[in-house]
Amino acid sequence: MSSQIVVKVILVSIALGAAAVALAVPASASHVEAEITTEGPAALQVKLRSADQGLPIANAAVTLSADESFGGVAGRVELGQASTDQNGVATVRFHRLSAGDHQVRIEYVAPSETEPEVATAFVTMPGITSQVYRSSAGVHIPGLNVSLLIALVATVWAILLSVALRVIAIARAGADAGAPSPQPPRGRRADKSISRAGATGGR
Amino acid sequence: MAMGRDCERSQDVEALGNQRSRREGGGPLAAAEPRASWLSRLEHAAFAPVTETSRWYYLWVAFLLLVIAWGVYAYSHQLREGLIVTGMRDRISWGLYITTFVFFIGISHAGTLISAILRVSQARWRTPITRMAEFITVVALVSGAIFVIIDLGRPDRVLNVIRYGRWQSPIIWDVLAITTYLTASIAYLFLPMIPDLALFRDRLAGRVAPWRIWLYDLLSVRWRGTGAQWRSMGTAITTAMILIIPIAVSVHTVVSWIFAMTLREPWNSTIFGAFFVAGAIFSGIATLIIVMAVLRKVYHLEEYITEKHFVYLGYMLAAFALIMIYGNVSEYVTTGYKLEEGAEFHFRQLFLEQFAGFYWFYFIGGLVVPGLLVLFPRTRNIWGVVAAALLVDVAMWVERYFIVVSGFRVPLMPYEPSSYAPTWVELSIMVAGFALFALLITLFVKVFPIIAVWEVAEDQESIETAPARRPLAPGATLDPAEGG
Repeated sequence: MSSQIVVKVILVSIALGAAAVALAVPASASHVEAEITTEGPAALQVKLRSADQGLPIANAAVTLSADESFGGVAGRVELGQASTDQNGVATVRFHRLSAGDHQVRIEYVAPSETEPEVATAFVTMPGITSQVYRSSAGVHIPGLNVSLLIALVATVWAILLSVALRVIAIARAGADAGAPSPQPPRGRRADKSISRAGATGGR
Repeated sequence: MAMGRDCERSQDVEALGNQRSRREGGGPLAAAEPRASWLSRLEHAAFAPVTETSRWYYLWVAFLLLVIAWGVYAYSHQLREGLIVTGMRDRISWGLYITTFVFFIGISHAGTLISAILRVSQARWRTPITRMAEFITVVALVSGAIFVIIDLGRPDRVLNVIRYGRWQSPIIWDVLAITTYLTASIAYLFLPMIPDLALFRDRLAGRVAPWRIWLYDLLSVRWRGTGAQWRSMGTAITTAMILIIPIAVSVHTVVSWIFAMTLREPWNSTIFGAFFVAGAIFSGIATLIIVMAVLRKVYHLEEYITEKHFVYLGYMLAAFALIMIYGNVSEYVTTGYKLEEGAEFHFRQLFLEQFAGFYWFYFIGGLVVPGLLVLFPRTRNIWGVVAAALLVDVAMWVERYFIVVSGFRVPLMPYEPSSYAPTWVELSIMVAGFALFALLITLFVKVFPIIAVWEVAEDQESIETAPARRPLAPGATLDPAEGG
């Protein structure tokens, strides 16, 4: 009977010890500890180290995600992926995470492991009053910009202006030719022929 | 007075014939007298719409004004109550107005593009129909631009597009392209009309109201027909016709980009620009055929607008029908082969569900049947081509409708797809828009030369003098239709 009590005490102690270890770090799973901190307004930094010796875990693939809701639709949003460096640090840049406290899910695969491990941590994003992320959509090709558009439109309108100047030239030539006289319907060939023959004046 | 002028004209024509004959080493042209008679009929055909007004004309104008008045009433209702009186909502925010806008911009290619291409390619058969094609362009652009303003809930904010516009926005490109195209189209309509306006100024004095003579005098810019004036006009027309082709292509390309540069699954297409331009020319040819048929009948232009013109335009219609069929197959086969999530929804609504009736009418009734009507010898006549043109115009409006509305209907988020049904306000305003289009054409024809008189005369002169310039082969006969 007493031996059973001893076994139970040992098991409870182990459980309490494990719980104490789990609560002592921001996030941990099995033999790895994960710390998460904000790195500026648009990046999260994750540090992985072994739970037993506290050594950094390098070259581990880390995926961060968070539960978010938008427009009445809730779901898990992946924030980004990165690999840890020699110091066990991975920096994940992301595009959208509103100000306030967020529970972030850290999924990582240690180099010696095959199965991913998961930990969670809380991170507080500072209050943001300006746009965090600016889109860099599009490919910037030198010379292909607004100036080119303006130059193109200006060229077209300059040609149209030259057409308008031709109309003014027609009016001036008409003024030089004198008063109008009735004309038959005819084309340019007729006009040239008549002009050469001197059949009519002022045409 | 008029008789005296006719005598003078006949003398001019005879002098022209004699001069040519002397220059070419032959005797007086035997065809001089028939040519004078032909020119007289041409003059009469050109003057008749301006000088003669039937009771039907007034009834037609009154009817159009009534329809427009009803449309103005509907629009005033929309202005008072806001866009809530339309069927447009936040999820489907474009409807009949943008559909009709795109349609009108499309048929505006009738004119200038067709006229310019035929002029560049020196197709001589074009001369009796170029003027109609050119004024369809201007009238369609004016009618279409109005629908953009109507689509704005607050028309007083229309200038905000300019005041707060961004160069990066396709909307700004569209404004630039359409205003440039309208200006170039007016210039391209006006330039070849100058000699005809001078003819009207000189011939119609005393036969029409003084304000018309004043208008002809003003617009004919002191045209006397001197060599310098012909040279200036020739240069201006050449410049305008070369310039207007890329402008016209850019206009409908940019209109298509308003769709294609928006994040909507059905509009994610790289061939949208080419597809819209082809569709625009397609519907433009159809509209030109319909207007030709109506004006030919009303103003008895059978001598100038012959079955040949309808058949030739019918061939162009059939060619563009094939291009449109190819565009549909190319677009939908490639998209459907991959069939991403949004595309699957779109394909279902387009081919099987909500828009299936519209799509299959467009494809079969608007592309396949018109092509067959033109290609079968039994229906390759005026009535067959006009029927094909009517089908094409209706189908192309329908195409714009399902492009606009079905594009908005594909959900961007996991919500129930919305629906759209036009209200009486939208239908009334749309019908009034078409009435305005018809009214502007009616009024234009009533004031300005409907036929490019000098071009038709020049064409006829070239036909008559062509055999004299080239020695005829032994046994050959003179065919007046040669070169048509």
